[in-house]
Amino acid sequence: MDTSSPSVFVNGALLRRFVGQKVRTVIQVMGSDMGSVVGKSTDDLQIFVRGSPPPSLTTYLEVIGIADSENSIRAEVWTNFGDSFDALNYNELCKLANGEFKHLFI
Amino acid sequence: MPVSLTPNAITAINAGDVNLKPLLQVLDIKLIGKIQERGQERYRLLISDGALAEHAMIAVQLNDRVKSGQVVIGSIVQLIDYICSTVKNRKLIVVLNMETIIPQSETIGNPKMSPESDAEAQIPLSAPGSMPPPNRAVFNEPAIQQSVNKAPPRGVNFQNPANSTATPSFRPSVQPSYQPPPSYRNHGPIMKNEAPARIIPIAALNPYQGRWAIKARVTAKGDIRRYNNAKGDGKVFSFDLLDSDGGEIRITCFNAVVDRFHDVVEVGKVYLISKGSLKPAQKNFNHLKNEWEIFLEATSTVELCPDEDGSIPRQQFSFRPISDIESAENNTILDTIGVVTSVNPSVPILRKNGMETHRRVLNLKDESGKAVEVTLWGEFCNREGRQLEEMVVDSAFYPVLAIKAGKVSDFSGKSIGTISSTQLFINPDFPEAQKLRSWFDHGGKDIASSSISRDNMPGGGSRNEIRKTVSQIKEEGLGRSDKPDWVTVKATVSFIKTDSFCYTACPLMIGDKQCNKKVTQTGTNTWLCDRCNQESEECDYRYLLQVQIQDHSGLTWVTAFQESGEEIMGCPAKQIYTLKNELQNDEEFAEIVRNRLFHQYLLKLKIKEESYGDEQRVKITVVKVDKVNYTSESKYLLDLVRREIS
Repeated sequence: MDTSSPSVFVNGALLRRFVGQKVRTVIQVMGSDMGSVVGKSTDDLQIFVRGSPPPSLTTYLEVIGIADSENSIRAEVWTNFGDSFDALNYNELCKLANGEFKHLFI
Repeated sequence: MPVSLTPNAITAINAGDVNLKPLLQVLDIKLIGKIQERGQERYRLLISDGALAEHAMIAVQLNDRVKSGQVVIGSIVQLIDYICSTVKNRKLIVVLNMETIIPQSETIGNPKMSPESDAEAQIPLSAPGSMPPPNRAVFNEPAIQQSVNKAPPRGVNFQNPANSTATPSFRPSVQPSYQPPPSYRNHGPIMKNEAPARIIPIAALNPYQGRWAIKARVTAKGDIRRYNNAKGDGKVFSFDLLDSDGGEIRITCFNAVVDRFHDVVEVGKVYLISKGSLKPAQKNFNHLKNEWEIFLEATSTVELCPDEDGSIPRQQFSFRPISDIESAENNTILDTIGVVTSVNPSVPILRKNGMETHRRVLNLKDESGKAVEVTLWGEFCNREGRQLEEMVVDSAFYPVLAIKAGKVSDFSGKSIGTISSTQLFINPDFPEAQKLRSWFDHGGKDIASSSISRDNMPGGGSRNEIRKTVSQIKEEGLGRSDKPDWVTVKATVSFIKTDSFCYTACPLMIGDKQCNKKVTQTGTNTWLCDRCNQESEECDYRYLLQVQIQDHSGLTWVTAFQESGEEIMGCPAKQIYTLKNELQNDEEFAEIVRNRLFHQYLLKLKIKEESYGDEQRVKITVVKVDKVNYTSESKYLLDLVRREIS
């Protein structure tokens, strides 16, 4: 596993703490365009993802990339996460990964 | 205060006088061991009238008097209710109710053991130089008689509304007692006593009485249950009785006796019941405060008392506040009352024996500031459950619910579940309910109560599962106690034993269930079942699968029978039996087995140590196989992490 450039698990609220850094998040796709996707974070905030999305998207999408503002990510890796994904669990994971035990994650 | 003991009281009691209400001194208190292990403690007193001393058992409900120190050695007590019966040529006094008159006093007189008593006859019991014998001739103590009707029932009596104000909740005795003329004793021909048996309080029943009758109200009646055991098929039903003294007892009927009495007995009515045998109560099913239970026989009589006067309460409750339930032991049967704050829908549940039943969960809170989850099972879901749902969910009205005989469960905090003899009363008409209602309506509704039941385990299947790792099974010595342990492990199948994986089973039906016992082949197409003692032309193939399972902590062997075996193998036993033994397609067989390895499951296990000859072996059986549901498993793990770090 490549640990040289770790990506932080974030939800919509945590994204703003990592502007300029590498993050990963899962969004529920609301709409997509050539070169961008609009989605809802697991804590119900809007996130814009730029880059080149795969041609077909499932309901849930994981993106890894650099946070370039408090609500947008420039994605390098796009992964379809299927249509049934538990957003609440993921949201809890993000909170854990940035809480008391964040040294275990980054 | 100088006090005189009732002279010659012991002699009078032994002769059958039960109305004397004598003053006696307690010379000794002895705890008689737990009767047949599961029985209750009994105390035996040595009581003296100043001249004679005699042993007396005290009824179980008086045990507290001894434990709390109200009755100690030296106490002077007044016997209020008592009987004297003959057991194996020995007189035995049983005290049903008594009052402490003087908490402690020096030994009065110079009492000797009564000749009626067994052992230790004629041993002087008082220390030399103690108090001189009192003047017995002038005994008269009218002031003491006042407490006769003060009986000790704990809890509340729910009276007939008609006379609830007038009648005291309790009466000491129903009919004058039968006193045998002294001349009958010890000589003369034995004659059958044709007179009707006298009515005695339920609390006085014991297995050593020949003839008895009780007059009591039916407070609960169970459904007929059918069973099948080594002795064959049968049916059984039971009902609970309460008498005017607050004594309760369960009556059980089997088979033909069921037919005779099941339709006769109605809840709420009063009956005269006579003849039947007393057996130790089955404490795991029977929560009543009585160490005996009556088994009715063909000669027993159950007669309706149409002219009953309401002296017997409808129901006897001893309500416990919800805060008390928190510290109650698992499986305790108790009564409680609270306001229903939420009702969940009824859901179907598969029981361990494969039958389907229903479950409905509701929440109850009371003035103790606590709330508890109540689980209704079976019929309760539709009957009272639906009624409650309509009130709470549809009309947003929060009714008071009284639960008679609910069972405490300690899975996930403490909760209460219904059992067959549980009774539910919605908005009952008694003072506790009115008090709760007014508390709830005047602010109680908005007080946040902390629940003594842990919130629903998010996901993870059944909420009352106990999760363990594989290595914990050995480390914690699971299965070594009397009862099997039921736990859930998340584990991966790492090996399946294939030389023998199924057995030939009897396909015949016993009642509505297949026999499934092992059959032996007796001819080309004939199979013999020892249990059914019949041959059949076909046999069933059922899994008996030895599987190795593994998690991060270790590995262990488990046994999976039919349903769980099929879940693990992914196809019926017969199919792979045919493949392996008839088609002898070893390659495909091996492929199927290989494909079933390394799947992860939530396995519900039953763990029990069994002896095989001299050897003790812990046997682990797979009861249920579930594929891991990642969503609920994640929820479970998150919850675990949260609890660890908080």
